[in-house]
Parts: sequence; C-alpha cells; structure tokens
Amino acid sequence: MIWRAFASEWVKMRRRRLWYGTYGAITGVVLLTTIVTIAGALHHADAHGALTLAQMAQASGLSQGLTQSGVLLGAVSFAVAAFQFGGEFSHGTLRNLLVRQPRRSVLMAGKCLAVLTFLVGAIVVATMVGICAAFVMAHFRDIPTRAWTSAGGMSDLGSLMGDLVISTCGFAVIGMIAGVLLRSSVIAIAAGLAVLLPFETILTDAVPGTGRWLPAQLLESIAQGGSTVAPFGAAVITVSAYIVGAFAIATLVFVRRDVTA
Amino acid sequence: MSAAGLATETVVQAIGQGPRNYAVLTHDLTKRFGKRTAVDGLDLCIPAGSITGFVGPNGAGKTTTIRMLLGLIRPSAGSGTVLGYPLGHSRAYLPRVGALIEGPTFYPPLSGRENLMVLARLGGLSKKRVDAVLERVGLASRAFDPFRTYSLGMRQRLGIAAALLPLPELLVLDEPTNGLDPHGIAEIRAMLRSFADDGMTVFVSSHLLAEIQQICEHLVVIEAGRLLFQGGVDELLAARAPELIVRTENRADARYLLTLVIGTGRSARVLGETGGTTLEISADCSWAADLNRLAMANGVTLVHLAERRSTLEEAFFEITRTGTGSKAECSMSQGDDGIRRGAWPAKARHK
Repeated sequence: MIWRAFASEWVKMRRRRLWYGTYGAITGVVLLTTIVTIAGALHHADAHGALTLAQMAQASGLSQGLTQSGVLLGAVSFAVAAFQFGGEFSHGTLRNLLVRQPRRSVLMAGKCLAVLTFLVGAIVVATMVGICAAFVMAHFRDIPTRAWTSAGGMSDLGSLMGDLVISTCGFAVIGMIAGVLLRSSVIAIAAGLAVLLPFETILTDAVPGTGRWLPAQLLESIAQGGSTVAPFGAAVITVSAYIVGAFAIATLVFVRRDVTA
Repeated sequence: MSAAGLATETVVQAIGQGPRNYAVLTHDLTKRFGKRTAVDGLDLCIPAGSITGFVGPNGAGKTTTIRMLLGLIRPSAGSGTVLGYPLGHSRAYLPRVGALIEGPTFYPPLSGRENLMVLARLGGLSKKRVDAVLERVGLASRAFDPFRTYSLGMRQRLGIAAALLPLPELLVLDEPTNGLDPHGIAEIRAMLRSFADDGMTVFVSSHLLAEIQQICEHLVVIEAGRLLFQGGVDELLAARAPELIVRTENRADARYLLTLVIGTGRSARVLGETGGTTLEISADCSWAADLNRLAMANGVTLVHLAERRSTLEEAFFEITRTGTGSKAECSMSQGDDGIRRGAWPAKARHK
C-alpha cells in the first residue's frame, strides 16, 4: 500500500520543472559553497579562524565546501517538501488522492518516502558535482589533492554525505509537517522558513544556549557533523524526538481532519 | 406510526441488512461545522443501477453529503452504507466507487495521462485502464498535453475519466456540467446514459435541472441540509397539477373565457405576455374537450389549446419555496420499496 502511494508521488515528481528546479537549486548551493570555500581559503591562518590552503589539502578538505551548505540545502528541502504536501490542499487534489487511497496514514507515509528519496537523490547528485568543482578549484589554487582521495578522505566524505542526508531529511520532514498542518504550500514555506532561519538565528544570538534546542540549529549542527553548542549525538537525539513527535501529531491531524479543500 | 417514522425504520432495517438494491443508504446523516448544520438528518436511498439526480440550491449541503459518502468528512451524527458497507469503512467500498467532487482538480503541469497515472498508481490500477478511460471520454488525442492547456469541457471529461478509473459500481459526480457549453453538456449527458447502460449507479448533483430531468430516473432534493423530496422524477412532476394553455382571438374573449372557467370551479389566470389573450387553467388534458365545448357554446373561438406539463425547474422552485427547509411542509410517505417520497403540500398543489 505504501509502495502505491510512493509510486504515485513519483509520477508527480518526475516532471521536468520540479526536477530541474530542485536538483538545480541543491546542486547550485553545493557548487557555490564549494567554490566560495576553496576560493576564500587563506595562505596563512588569521584571527577569525578562516580555512587555510594547508587545511584544505588535508583529507577533510574535499568535504569542507559541502559542510558549509547544510542550512541552504535544508531550506531548499523544506520548501520542496512543504510544496509537495501543502500543494495538495491548495490545489484541491488531496480529495482525489483520498478517494483512491482512503488510508490516510499510508498515503502520508508513501508521499513522505517519495519526497525523501527525491531529495536524497538530489544530495547525491549535488555532492558529485561539488566534488568535481572542488578538484577544479584545487587545481586553480594549487591545493594538493592526494589526501582527498585517500581512505581517510573518502571516509570523511562518506560521513559528511550521511550527515547531510540526515539533516536534509530532517528539514524535509519538518516541511512536510508544516504543509499538512497549515494546508497551504505558500503559507507553509513562508512561515516555516521565517521561523527556521531568521527567527531561530536571532533567538540563538539573543539567548545563549538556545541553539541546542532549536530544530534548524540542531539540523545545521548535524550537517556539520556536530558543533560545540550541539554535539552530533545529542543533536540527532533531540531532533529525532522533535520529528517523531511532530510527525505523530501531523499524522493524527491528517487522519482525523475533515477534507473540505 | 407516522409515515416519516415508518420510513426511518425501513431505512434502519435496510442498513442493517446491507441491501443489494440500494447503492447508498443513510439514516439521520448529519454534519455540523461549529454551530452551523450543513446536513441535517438526511435519509437517503439511492437505488442501485439508477441515475439519481441530487439537486438543491447553493449551500444546500450537496457537496458536504457527497464528501461524507466518500469518507472525506466525518459525519457528526447518523449512519449509512455505501455499496453495503458502513460509512466509517470507506476503504472497503471506495475501490468500487468513482468520484468527481466539486469540479476537476488536477496538477496543472502534468499531462492528462500523467494526472490519471498518479491516481492509477495509488489505486493499483494499470496503464491500460488509464488509456481505456481516456479513450472512453474522448481525450486520447490530447492525453499527453498539460492539464493547464485543457478547455473547461476537457477538464470535466478528465475528471470523469478519473472517476471511471476503478471500473466503479457507483459513480458520484458533483456538478459535472458546471461551466460547459450546450455541446459539452450534451456530451456529458450521453456519457452518463452510457454509464448507466453499463450497469453503474450514477449519483449526480447539478444545478442544471433540465439536464437532470432528461437523464435521471430518480431524484433527491435537499435544502438547508434537509431532505425535501426523494423519489422518481415522474412522481415529482406528476405531483404538480398540470395546466391547460389556451389562446383566444382577442383580449375580450380571454376575459370572458376566464369568467366561464372560474364559474366551473377551476382556477385560471390570464397571462400577460401574449397581449392578454392567453389563459392558464389548472386542469389536465381530460378536461380539454369540455373546455373547447364550453368556449364554442359561448361564442369564443380558441386558436390554441394544449396541455403544459410542469418542468423539473418549476417543480424545484415550488418545492424549495414551499418546503422552506422543513420536512413538515412536505409530507413524507414510503413506498413498498422503502424509498421515502415527498408529496406536495395541499397549498402548493393548486394555485
């Protein structure tokens, strides 16, 4: 049953504009952060702790650009997921879907799975493009890349991709929940991004210590493999608790609420 | 036991037995949105294999009723069955139900075929079925064009195609002719007839009463969420007194004939639109010969004499006007088949 909902959602997601838009945006973000990170690497360390060419030459250098893209990738993923779910209410297409699949929790799970696989695919493609761009930029900045292709470099890259996938899926699930609860793609995207990005950033700056409790801050920390404010393990546990709770509420609301759109 | 009470009891029994004779049965179906009652104690009996029209003014509760039947809205009270299964178990009957609710809504960038594929995949239906329904509604040649490029008529047809996907036993169509030109309406009408010929039960709501009159055998009229009439279209039309339309050579003759007719105890009036030469007389065609003789005997020459059957539109306006949302003013009776039927209130029978 979930497979049917999954396959049905993929018919929609195969459309070119969504494909090019999402994959283009995510690839663009990774490309931009990779180029800016390598281009901005300094010859010598400064007081602000900016990356140096020597640091870029280490095994973790290849993944430095990707590390910086976590929040932007999250924002794109959030918007795509909110659009896919909120749009069903806005367009009035949800009623058609529910007549063919009355088990609402199954429909929701299948759609969620489809959106997540779509986004994970985008992350993989974007990472590949980012890697190519990193090698090109390394050539221009005379950065040795032998360490990047070592076992340690590949391990770092794999680990970072995993972190990015977890972070992106987290943002996507929050976007999906926002779409279901707010029943409008426009409102869900606008309100969600406003809360997750500027609001959380301001709150984190204004109230020290809140970073370890706010979802977008935690997901950003996960994308970077953990931070001093929110270590990776703690961030994963806290975000998982938030997502499981919110997903359960969203599912309950989705199952119980009258479909009048 | 009152007629209404008897009807209620029969509906309850029918629901308990899960009858095959009825595609839809509801008892006291009610939906409240806050303090507003959208559907108020509706007892529906939709015979299987029929084309049933569902009419009522805007805001009467038609779409809310349809949404409850399709499991999209939870009833506040009451019970019912669709294809023999209780309303709360929509997953049991929806695979055998096709529906077009409140107009065709699809994903604008996707082609008609892709839109149907979304639903087919969800329902576990094949690509062949998608192609078959596109062919059936005459959209095969435009199947690969984006939905946003479709005309209103094509959109309606795609909506019907989506409803046909599961080879439904029950087809629920909410305003399928909305916004269509006469040619499009005729196409939809022919389509609905062909569905009924295939053995489907068609439950269609529409504002176009002339269309309902042409295609439906059975009719449900609601207003303010309450049932005003349920039964055969012919029964509804027959319940309204027929009229004879008579035209005389001049206005003076018309006035004179009016006096003569009223003298026989019948009601009549002069219509203004033909220069005062036309009379509308409450009588059926069996009195036409008597009327002709009466006119001739008094030196009045009739240039036109015909019986005018009431239209569904007239009957609808009358029942919604006199019903005023109250079952009490439209007395209910129940036939042998258990269907609750409305009868005209005495004051509405003769003007």
